[in-house]
Amino acid sequence: MKRFLLVRGAELLALLVLAAIPLFIKNPFALGLLTLLAIYGILLIGLDVTVGYLGQVNLGQAGFLGIGAYTAGLLVANCNAGLFTSLGAAFLICLVLGALLALPALRLEGPQFALATLSFGALAVTVLNEWEDLTLGAQGLSIDRPTLFGHPLDAAWFYWLCVVLLALVWLGMKNLLSSQWGRAFEALRDSPIATDAMGVGTYRHKVIAFAFGSALGGLAGGLYAFNFQYLQPQSFTYELMVILLLGVVLGGRKNLWGAVVGAAFIVLLPNLLSNPMLFRAFSLLGFAIAAFAVIRTRSLRFQTLAPVIAMGMLVVGSFTVQHTEDWRKAIFALMLFSVVVGLPEGLMGYAGKVLSKLFRVPAAPLPEASNLDDVVPMQQVNDNVLLELRDLKRHFGGVKAVDGVNLKLTSGSVHGLLGPNGSGKSTAVNVISGLYAPTSGQMMLDGKELPYGSLYRVAGAGVARTFQNLQLFSELSAIHNVMVALRDTYKTPWPLVLFGFARKEEHKAKADALALLKLVGLEDQARTKAKDLTYGAQRFLEIARALARKPRLLILDEPAAGLAHPDAHHLVEIVKRVHGRGISIVLIEHHMDVVSALCSTVTVLDGGQVIAEGTPDEVKRHPKVVAAYLGAAA
Amino acid sequence: MLKVENLYAGYGGAEVLNGVNLEVKQGTVVALIGANGAGKTTTMRAVSGMIKPSAGKVTLEGTEVEGYSASRIARLGLSHSPEGRKVFGPLTVEDNLLLGAYRQLPRFFGFKAKAQVELEKVYALFPRLKERRLQHAGTLSGGEQQMLAIGRALMAQPKVMLLDEPSMGLAPVIVQEVFATIRRLKEAGITLLLVEQFAKSALEVADYAYVMERGRIAVEGSPAELQKDERVLSAYLG
Repeated sequence: MKRFLLVRGAELLALLVLAAIPLFIKNPFALGLLTLLAIYGILLIGLDVTVGYLGQVNLGQAGFLGIGAYTAGLLVANCNAGLFTSLGAAFLICLVLGALLALPALRLEGPQFALATLSFGALAVTVLNEWEDLTLGAQGLSIDRPTLFGHPLDAAWFYWLCVVLLALVWLGMKNLLSSQWGRAFEALRDSPIATDAMGVGTYRHKVIAFAFGSALGGLAGGLYAFNFQYLQPQSFTYELMVILLLGVVLGGRKNLWGAVVGAAFIVLLPNLLSNPMLFRAFSLLGFAIAAFAVIRTRSLRFQTLAPVIAMGMLVVGSFTVQHTEDWRKAIFALMLFSVVVGLPEGLMGYAGKVLSKLFRVPAAPLPEASNLDDVVPMQQVNDNVLLELRDLKRHFGGVKAVDGVNLKLTSGSVHGLLGPNGSGKSTAVNVISGLYAPTSGQMMLDGKELPYGSLYRVAGAGVARTFQNLQLFSELSAIHNVMVALRDTYKTPWPLVLFGFARKEEHKAKADALALLKLVGLEDQARTKAKDLTYGAQRFLEIARALARKPRLLILDEPAAGLAHPDAHHLVEIVKRVHGRGISIVLIEHHMDVVSALCSTVTVLDGGQVIAEGTPDEVKRHPKVVAAYLGAAA
Repeated sequence: MLKVENLYAGYGGAEVLNGVNLEVKQGTVVALIGANGAGKTTTMRAVSGMIKPSAGKVTLEGTEVEGYSASRIARLGLSHSPEGRKVFGPLTVEDNLLLGAYRQLPRFFGFKAKAQVELEKVYALFPRLKERRLQHAGTLSGGEQQMLAIGRALMAQPKVMLLDEPSMGLAPVIVQEVFATIRRLKEAGITLLLVEQFAKSALEVADYAYVMERGRIAVEGSPAELQKDERVLSAYLG
């Protein structure tokens, strides 16, 4: 209840204040700024999807703003389309274009992605400029603002429309982020490999997220067109892009409030620069804040000192420079630098931290854990072969990591895979789980061929795995780690998620995840971030997460590596419990006592080939195994 | 040689260490054992300056070093071979070793000649590394990477060496090899603080041992004493 009051209350209050303003302020200039604030708010929320949640520098949003603006403008000017038709068209066209751009661009990372989006932005402006038959090019396009169901939109009414749309976008984003989608975004930044291995489909999520962010850019574009009622391609160039990026970073990434604060900053910036008095006051304020940070933390580190110097330059500039407008790029640069260095989380990221310290909001209580039988149903065990490898090979250049492995795993068994380091065990399970494609050979799961070389598709076929080098979603809590991986739980299509139709399945997902945490003994640490768990707990969490896939075959890659005696014992208990549910297990392990306690059959690899197979005791006495693996003492 | 007094440290506000006291005398091997999450690795990280201790004293050869940066502590003669080996995969074995001696070597010319003596010492200790000196470190097997990590730490001619989980994820035969290596280091007179999951093997090579529980030292003593301790026996030596 307290949480509801504080979080929702702040949002409602902000909305009410925004909505009430036109009743008291009739000044058309101020109202124009506020309208622009709402429009840029929508635009930045869209941009934050890529810059914040996907963690990629996106320089294409100004292009989408332009395309959206021209789409809506041309529809109204040439086809006499209605308000919502034209806004919807702007949204949809940018959704499609965003998806088309994302398909190739999101195969890239970091600087390449930034360049790809930058090129798109440049292309968009050039096309708008040169396609004169349609857009009238540099001459500009004049538009009449359409009516709202026959009701003419004056400044106040248009402002209200923008605020309502901003509120809807805000609500939609909130619903999206608190669903599986939001978790998937976080997860794929922490470990794309694990996201794929948990069957979430990294690439698909990224593309849809980017397309949605671009579509919001298009929607903002449509409103932009009706706001100014005059369009010019030159409004959507790099300079706007840099300012948009500044807005997101300054406001705070991964933060809806941050997007709106950033929008307010962008709107006020031109006025700030044209008024010398205001600009002086602003730079003095910035300087004071930076200096205050140095005094408070009593540290002379680069992070606190650099903003003081940058802001000092701004103060000096504000008193010496005559035409601040001419210096605006230098001014943006100094501001961006100060924020990036001094407040890497942005204004609202920082404010959020302070506020959450002031008002301790208790987290929403967790539901009762589901019955484990409903989450991971007991599986029928028979004596059939579940997994069969036939002459499996994987070569890396000249290195024959896996060189003709044959293996049959009986349904319902725990099958050990042993061998010296570099003998090909990890490569073998990486091939089975789809991280690598096999060079040759066959892999059959229950008589059907497993997909090759796709973690995502193998995960879909019912194989789950853990990772030797932990691949947890370290910024997510334990329960969210498990929820990301839950299979057959999230069925609501994403447009409906935006409208909040996913809450019920969210509740069930939480209960199911809790049951799995209970299975590995982590139910008390459900809310702890994965990176703050002890090393042993992280290993157990990997198992719980893999179980959320409801697998038929579970691959455990050195689950006891680095576990001390009490934890290793607990691990054996967990694996026994999992096995008891009829799940077949491939276990790679070096601790022989763990292997002996769990495995019915053991296959030993050396140099990529099988050198022995049998029960643990048989294998332990095998002369080749003793020589290559166990050593004299064991 | 190395003395830790009442050390507190942690990550992001959560304290992991609650007043650790331990001492490593010159020329001895000291083992630090305990369950996962007891704070062994954190102790190592706080001592070598990878994280900043929030309180307490770390004395290296009479100099108080707590709060110094990791590179400064390394320059004073402490080298840390971290958990998970962390060798520079794309570099050759020899380049990895040379980087270990980075601070003693001239920056541009003649560093190989100058490092030759140390290199030979490490190669004498690990003939396997000499065989593979031009191979990329990433293509070595786990045991060889562990040797390389130890060798790299030795190149700095440390006064004290911290060895974190040298046997982690290694095949039994390689684990035996790693412990043989530790014995050779001991014979060479290197001062060593060792964190290890294989408590039994660790106690076999150590001169003195500490058992950590919940961020502090619970029991200490010579290996012979600890092996008689009922509680230690049941909890850690199994």
